[in-house]
Amino acid sequence: MALLMATVSLLLFAIFDSDQFRKQIAVAELGGFGVAALSEADYTDWIAKRGLDAPFLERYVSWVGQVFQGNLGHSLEYNMPVSSLLADRLTSTGILAFFFFLAMVPIAFTLGIVAGIKEGGLLDRIISIGSVVSTSIPQIATAVLLTVFLSLGLGWLPSKSAMVAGFSMKELVLPILTLLIYDVGYVARMTRASMIEVMSSNYIRTATLKGLSSAKVILRHAVRNALIVPVTLVFLQLNWLLSHIVVVEVFFQYNGFGQMLYNAAMYGDIEVLQAAALTASMVAVVSQLLSDIAYALLNPRLREVK
Amino acid sequence: MMNWEKSGLVQSLKGQVDAGTMSRRQFLRLATTVGVTLSAASVMMGLPGEAQAQTSNLPFPPSDPAAVKGGTFRVGLRVAKLDDPATYSWNDMANASRPVIEHLTLVGSDNIVRPMLLESWEASDDLKTWTLYLRKGVMWHNGDEFTAEDVVFNILKWADSKTGSSNIGLSTFSALTVETGETDAKGKAVRVPNTEGVEIVDSHTVRLHLSRPVLSVPQDFAEYPTLIVHRNFVAPFSAQPIGTGPFTMVEHEVGKRAILKRVTEMTNGQPFQYWGGEIYLDEIHLYHFESENELSALASGTIDAVSDLPSDQMAFAQSLDNVVIDSVASAATLTCRMQIDRAPFDDIRIRQAIIKSVDNTLIQQLVYPEGGLPAENHHVSPVHPEYFPLPPLVRDVEGAKKLLAEAGHPDGIQLTIDCGNAGGPWEQAVCEAIRDQVKDAGIDLAVNVIPTSRYWEIWTETLFGATNWAHRSLATMTLGLAYRSGVPWNESHFASAEFDAALADAEATVDVEARRVKMEAVQRILQEAGVMLQVLWQPVYRTFGKNVHGYHAHPARQLHLTKVWLS
Repeated sequence: MALLMATVSLLLFAIFDSDQFRKQIAVAELGGFGVAALSEADYTDWIAKRGLDAPFLERYVSWVGQVFQGNLGHSLEYNMPVSSLLADRLTSTGILAFFFFLAMVPIAFTLGIVAGIKEGGLLDRIISIGSVVSTSIPQIATAVLLTVFLSLGLGWLPSKSAMVAGFSMKELVLPILTLLIYDVGYVARMTRASMIEVMSSNYIRTATLKGLSSAKVILRHAVRNALIVPVTLVFLQLNWLLSHIVVVEVFFQYNGFGQMLYNAAMYGDIEVLQAAALTASMVAVVSQLLSDIAYALLNPRLREVK
Repeated sequence: MMNWEKSGLVQSLKGQVDAGTMSRRQFLRLATTVGVTLSAASVMMGLPGEAQAQTSNLPFPPSDPAAVKGGTFRVGLRVAKLDDPATYSWNDMANASRPVIEHLTLVGSDNIVRPMLLESWEASDDLKTWTLYLRKGVMWHNGDEFTAEDVVFNILKWADSKTGSSNIGLSTFSALTVETGETDAKGKAVRVPNTEGVEIVDSHTVRLHLSRPVLSVPQDFAEYPTLIVHRNFVAPFSAQPIGTGPFTMVEHEVGKRAILKRVTEMTNGQPFQYWGGEIYLDEIHLYHFESENELSALASGTIDAVSDLPSDQMAFAQSLDNVVIDSVASAATLTCRMQIDRAPFDDIRIRQAIIKSVDNTLIQQLVYPEGGLPAENHHVSPVHPEYFPLPPLVRDVEGAKKLLAEAGHPDGIQLTIDCGNAGGPWEQAVCEAIRDQVKDAGIDLAVNVIPTSRYWEIWTETLFGATNWAHRSLATMTLGLAYRSGVPWNESHFASAEFDAALADAEATVDVEARRVKMEAVQRILQEAGVMLQVLWQPVYRTFGKNVHGYHAHPARQLHLTKVWLS
């Protein structure tokens, strides 16, 4: 994990070590007309004052030293410590993610299980088609449709989630719905596939032949095993969420991790980008780890091997 | 103080009105430019409505007797870092700060300049010496009195290139610098502020000694990065928002919101009396929304007003109930300018072929069917007082083909224009409409759409680029910034001694009729040189709830919230 993060951060510093990047910063800070009004000497002074003229390895080593002291740097755009900004934005995204998972897991599992109980049945077909359709629609299109229908049409929900006047549960609804429509379909399909596999296994057939009721067979024997794969998949959705959240947060102007990442890229806020990249790498590795642990804990065969 | 009754210049202008050669509106604009207050000028014209404000000499319209006190006004705009107002790089930064810190002058929605922190000003006949009379009794929020020291502190800062302020490009502050005789690595003359050019006459009088005649001193003081900060100002502004305005900033969070509260008490414990009279609002909440999101935030009730309505959302705005759409003509525009000293644009026939193959009016009607004006490729707008109407342009595709053939491109030519959409997606629509029209003349134009931030990195370097130019009150202001030989913002590299002389002559002419006559040459030289394809003047739209009063569209997109009230 450490190697991955070191590589990512070094690459980012190398990518942003250019005259164009330095000019991008100057334009973001002073405006295109302001930069054009500067003499060459004043421009060079301006760059030097911000420490942007130092060789990138020197700046990288200095930045790594700061990180080890718990200092992630300073945001140019927000004029505040990156650690404070990151904490604030991760909290916002964490809130969104919490409610998203709270809704997604039971809905997707239920749909997947119901569809997988009788492969090819009416419910299975409806759920399967619905899942394919929902996962085929880009999130940006879902976001537009939901906004037009639920906010501008019916007036039930605010169209944006900027939380400008403080936290509002209502403003969370549209971003969560947008994420749900895509991801519920995906997880439901995975759950369905797992359920179908379990339902066709010998031990389920044996349980049925023993005379157990369908409800008992499904709830006691099938579901437990069918959920091993989907549960591990849910942990991997953490990683998926962190990348897909950018579209949703930018569209709804939700001030979370994704919006911060987008703004930092547009502004050239290198230390924010670095912190975001480190966080994303960490989440990727941790979610993978959690997924493996969950799989080992839930799968009795792996426990026996142990 | 100047006695306008005895001023030959003003009396001469009044004589022109009496003779019917100048409109009263033109008189107001011109008289205020040379220092007559709007109210005094109104009285001279016998306009009773404006005369009402004469007793107080305030820049604001007379108080509305129906105005109600109290309430919180919520406006959508981009809440950015507020560091040093001198280096503000876009309008919204100034819009967020303007209820706290103020300009020396104010250009209203009618494009007429008024005194703000100045009480009046006076120009010498050669327009090289300007005396600024500061408004008395103006207090800072910390209990200090606003004095000449504050003004000098700000002006010298703007004139210092080390500040990094775009103000140094404005004629007034550029004329307060002197060349050291050295040049930098790019061959630009190194300039330093001329401290002797700013003289403190007394505690409330400042005199500017400019190195060349400047007509636009009052207008330059109303540009958005010219907000006046306290003489002991230390950045960032958002950390210590001390101003002379009626509000202070109690909360500022980049990308989220800025909360402004009415000041009732100075930090020294004394009551605060705003110099500008009655204030109605208790609080102003500036909520961060990207411009494309503001309208939907208004529609869903999150805000009371949008700061800028993009034209592509007009139909949406018109579909909303209880919403007012205010609009104003402006001199904001897009110049598709060519660098005339670089191939292939160093051949005037190619530039003229491009221009001839385009119908400006058609594109204006396509992009702004509900507003805007067609432009004429010389960057002088009908909203400018000195605009001289040249003969209308006629599209001539055959003429364009002939010019191309003469230039050695009988089979057409391939070109690329860089477009950064700095003012919104309408810029791309303009470029694409141009692309479609020039095709008829055999010009294969590719539109290279790049991020706005990227465009501002290359705007002075790109061979063919579509640059967004903001509204300025006088045409001479923009022309001096963009087309005078060798100035920093001369992105087209246009250099013409004839043009420079004609422009200088117009700039030194106060009489608007005489200036308009001189502008004919200025506009014609620029148009014939084929420096740019400039197809339209952009209208400015602003939308707000019907309960909002005193909130107007402004040609320079400035927010003036001091007298807003809610019913």
